[in-house]
Amino acid sequence: MMAFPKLLARNRLALGGLIVMGLVVVLALITPLLPLADPDVTNTANRFKRPFSEGALLGTDHLGRDLLSRLLWGTRLSLAVGFTAAIAAATLGAAIGIIAGYYGGRIDNIIMRGVDMLMAFPYILLALAIVAALGPGLMNALIAVAAVNIPFFARNIRGITVGIAHKEFIDAARLSGMTDARIILTEVLPNVVPVIVIAISTTIGWMILETAGLSFLGLGSQPPQADLGSMLGEARSALITNPHTSVVPGAMILIIVMAINLLGDGVRDALDPRLKSGALSRPMPTTMVKRTMPVPEAKAETLLALRGLKTQFQVKDRVYKAVGGVDLQVNPGECLGLIGESGSGKSVAALSIMGLVASPPGVITGGAVYYRGEDLIDAPYEKLRSLRGNRIAYIFQDPLATLHPLYTVGDQLIEAVRAHHPFNKTEARAHAIDLLKSVRIPNAEQRVDSYPHEMSGGMRQRVGIAMALANDPEIIIADEPTTALDVTVQAQILSLLDDLRRERGLAIIFITHDFGVVAQVCDRVAVMYAGRIVEEGPTRTILNAPAHPYTARLMACVPELGQGRRELAAIQGLPPVVDKMPKGCAFAERCNKASDACRQANIELVRHGANSLVRCISPETSALEASE
Amino acid sequence: MAGYILKRLISALPVLFGISIIVFVIMAMIPGDPATAILGSYATPENVEKLKRDLGLDKPMMQRYFIWLGNMLQGDFGRSFSLNRSVLDEVLDRFGATLILAGTSFVLCSILGIAAGVVSAARQYGLADRAITFAVLLGISIPSFFLGMMMILIFAVKLRWFPVSGMWPIYGARDLYALISHLTLPALSLAVVATGVIARLSRSAMLEVLRQDFIRTARAKGVHERSVIWRHALRAAMVSIIPVLGVQAGFVLSGAVYIEMVFQWPGVGRMLVDAILKRDILLVQGGVVFVAACYVIFNITVDVAQSLLDPRIKT
Amino acid sequence: MTTVLKLTNLSKIFPVGKRLFGPPKALVRAVQPLSLSVEEGETLGIVGESGCGKSTLARMLVGLLPPSSGTIEINGEPLDNADPTLFGRKIQYVFQDPISSLNPRKTIRQIMEAPLRHLHNMSAADRGRRIAEIFAAVNLREEFLDRYPHEFSGGQAQRIGIARTLAADARILILDEPVSALDVSVQAQVLNLLANLKDEFGLTYLFISHDLAVVETVSDRVAVLYFGSVVEVGPADEVFSHPKHPYTKLLADSAPVVGRPLKAPEGRATELPNPLNPPDGCAFRVRCAYASDQCGREAPRLEKQSDGVWTACYHPLSGSK
Repeated sequence: MMAFPKLLARNRLALGGLIVMGLVVVLALITPLLPLADPDVTNTANRFKRPFSEGALLGTDHLGRDLLSRLLWGTRLSLAVGFTAAIAAATLGAAIGIIAGYYGGRIDNIIMRGVDMLMAFPYILLALAIVAALGPGLMNALIAVAAVNIPFFARNIRGITVGIAHKEFIDAARLSGMTDARIILTEVLPNVVPVIVIAISTTIGWMILETAGLSFLGLGSQPPQADLGSMLGEARSALITNPHTSVVPGAMILIIVMAINLLGDGVRDALDPRLKSGALSRPMPTTMVKRTMPVPEAKAETLLALRGLKTQFQVKDRVYKAVGGVDLQVNPGECLGLIGESGSGKSVAALSIMGLVASPPGVITGGAVYYRGEDLIDAPYEKLRSLRGNRIAYIFQDPLATLHPLYTVGDQLIEAVRAHHPFNKTEARAHAIDLLKSVRIPNAEQRVDSYPHEMSGGMRQRVGIAMALANDPEIIIADEPTTALDVTVQAQILSLLDDLRRERGLAIIFITHDFGVVAQVCDRVAVMYAGRIVEEGPTRTILNAPAHPYTARLMACVPELGQGRRELAAIQGLPPVVDKMPKGCAFAERCNKASDACRQANIELVRHGANSLVRCISPETSALEASE
Repeated sequence: MAGYILKRLISALPVLFGISIIVFVIMAMIPGDPATAILGSYATPENVEKLKRDLGLDKPMMQRYFIWLGNMLQGDFGRSFSLNRSVLDEVLDRFGATLILAGTSFVLCSILGIAAGVVSAARQYGLADRAITFAVLLGISIPSFFLGMMMILIFAVKLRWFPVSGMWPIYGARDLYALISHLTLPALSLAVVATGVIARLSRSAMLEVLRQDFIRTARAKGVHERSVIWRHALRAAMVSIIPVLGVQAGFVLSGAVYIEMVFQWPGVGRMLVDAILKRDILLVQGGVVFVAACYVIFNITVDVAQSLLDPRIKT
Repeated sequence: MTTVLKLTNLSKIFPVGKRLFGPPKALVRAVQPLSLSVEEGETLGIVGESGCGKSTLARMLVGLLPPSSGTIEINGEPLDNADPTLFGRKIQYVFQDPISSLNPRKTIRQIMEAPLRHLHNMSAADRGRRIAEIFAAVNLREEFLDRYPHEFSGGQAQRIGIARTLAADARILILDEPVSALDVSVQAQVLNLLANLKDEFGLTYLFISHDLAVVETVSDRVAVLYFGSVVEVGPADEVFSHPKHPYTKLLADSAPVVGRPLKAPEGRATELPNPLNPPDGCAFRVRCAYASDQCGREAPRLEKQSDGVWTACYHPLSGSK
């Protein structure tokens, strides 16, 4: 909360709005103290004086009244009415919304039906009806404007409240012995207040416009008293002959509302937590590249090789080094496992290959990715696009979120094919059905017209795999493809992937956190910790005799079936945060073998035994053991 | 689909019923006596009593409501005393003009707003985004009636490109050209605010969608960026844009009241304001119920469009 | 040993497609009538895949969801959450998502104080002392108390969630997937902590998880849920070493394990049945290699097998694995 004024001040437009608004409010407040002419005294002899004329800075109106004085008094009135209406509507609307959203069920249903009914009116009809009933007048206009805005607030706040009421901390509060009233006041309200503030700050300008509008129609403030709207309304008849009488109040409304809107946007941006993290940025078509170091050479002709790849997330003034120099290579037909805990950088490394890391905030700051000897990191967009899904395809974790919800799976498969091959629709459709058959989806002919939400999780992931296979790629990068699935379904998907890869000679990079999965499907495995590879080698070598203490300790943590009730061998502590990396080995803090040497300098990934690499100065196994 | 439309139409009945009750109750709150208002304060008590009986004002509230409702259902909205004309005829005449104005504005603001929002999101923080964001801010901050007045001043009085006001020329042919030249300024003035709101919302809806995983999937498939934006992202964003179009249609219809005043457009909004100032209750009642009912029907169309777009809505 | 938690014919039916008036369009039986009991001081593990009703069951046990039929008895008395201050002292709940179970706008101290204040009416000084004790027990530093939830990692947040549960001083804890959101290294820490706390405070656990191996490391007894019904229940080592129900066997064979070659335990692509249109008889029969006509006629009831294991199957597997 403390950061709020700072965030607001950082937004220059909002600051400008704040300053203008501050000036207007101060002027409105001190209006009675200023040496102004009486706003309501008419003097027809002096009518329609031009601005900057003697004794009337902004000129006079059709009855010879001083426009400056009328403007300031009118501003005062308009602001007061606008703010009052906004606060009244927000308070009532929020109360209704919170009650409906929190209690839900029938109460919610009845309240929201009422709100819907009020929203079934174009709002001005309701306002006009209310003014018609109460009679023209500023107070009645205020009531009308506040009343028509209550449903908007109620609906908005209800939506937020429903989301909060279903959060687990509300259940926790209930189990802590709190009553409903107390939960609403101390648990729900503090989470809703920012939304209410945002709603007020973004609608207050609107309220001022609306009250001005009713006055403009002659239904608000009544002569001789004037707010900005009625000034404009009275000036309308002289619009062509004496435009200044219209321009003065109109410009004032514009200035006020614009300042409020700027300020309101600033308040919203400062209070909306999604914007704090910069998450509402649009990811670019490819990840941004800013390589400062010389690009590493491709070693030998391999299918796909990562050389010293570095990817960072730059959020405000912090830099998270998600991938801190990764070397990997995949050979044709090989399945490489990339294993690590969350935050180890395994997914980011995999997404960097085809430039799919969301950017901003992601930036590739170093290294290279060689596909058949060609560096993909600085490849032009069109080159990258022609490879994506064509030669190198992805399978993602959660198949519900990763398929487009509004297109049939057939359309999405057809699109994948047609992005790279000039198939006509019929050919592509036949191909799509073949693809669905190849991933063993029953009734492929019918399923091709299903939407993703009509399928189960396992079926959706099969569609995801079919999509990856669409253009017969050489490499598939599978990012935790079975993590979101149940174990029984996972087993089906894993064996499908394994069969497909053997049938088609696919190379796979398989990202997972599960040693069991690695053991079953991977030929080789690389273990990641804090953005770097700590160990790499043939799956069997590493799983039987892990050389890096992290790998060994992590494997010991995993509960395995068939060992009964027991104490698990946990690793104490937490992985380092990747914006504050320690100097030497990132695991030293948690390692029981760590010595001073581990913490002093960078530790290289060195050959260990015949086929393995390890980043440790005192590995768990001797090089000889590792060669076996 | 037909079933869904039928279901939505049936579900509109209680809403229409509710609208009629709300309008009736608000009008019943009017202090004083409509009969006196109609006849003026010099009327004799006998005449007032007679009129009250004629208008059914001596009956209890409930009964009066159902009589009014029953008459409306038969197309009898009563007579306007100030115009001495059937309310329904007057409303129908006026509503046509409003529909031309508001409909044109609505089409304009939907197309311009969505296009601006998509471009703005696709070029986030670029020059186009900044320009659009500023224009949008200006658009939603300017009172439409003030904008209309300035348009008259510049484009009608100074430049003489368009007529100052009205719907038809006083002399001359009432053809399409005449209509368009009269319509341009009011329709533009009316569209500006809604364009701003729709552009804003489309931009944030697009930004929201562009962060979704399925956009990454589309890119990973090698789909061209143009298609990612206009096919994948916009289609998904439309799910949240369409309901806003429905709400904005209400705002356009509302804003039309001001614009009709400024441009002397013979629409239903000006009729209502005049009727309120003359305390012609039956005309207000009839006009409000009629327009609100049309708006309900329009919103059903919006819902149907939404269900066509989003297969997750059960039909 | 005394029974502290007893469920009799407990079931939950969710209406689908509610209307303002009149009956809903369809009913989903999330939990079929089931009976279970938990003895004092034991850990009963509940295993099942998504959609098997395990979370619905958990929420009914702590009064967050009213059951559609059947009874819940806690310490021999029927569940009564009319007075939240009495109820919260009997049974508590540890949530799956540690971050979302903490109010983002409250400090850890405010979160910890809520149960002490509302359930136990403690004075400020007593509360401070009690929080210090609990934090020591769950290995959390007291300096965390003035921070906000977003400053913590998942593992730390889960410890805070457990600490809050301990503050209520209830003897029965429902743990709903308490480690599934955590990484394996942190998961092991939390599982060990839970085991220590149980011994230290004499707690009774109902431990719900989709992960067989995790359940095995903590449970005395285990119940396997499929499609809202208990299909197998018994001593943990018996159930895991000699599954009697084909579903339990499938579950055990599906988990990828280092050293076991990959093979799909099921040839066909089959998953949970559609809850809106459940099959007749045994819900598992469409996936079961042993299914017979009998399975389609009537759902099998839980029956006692050898070694104290109860299985709902007409064709239980013989003991050898």
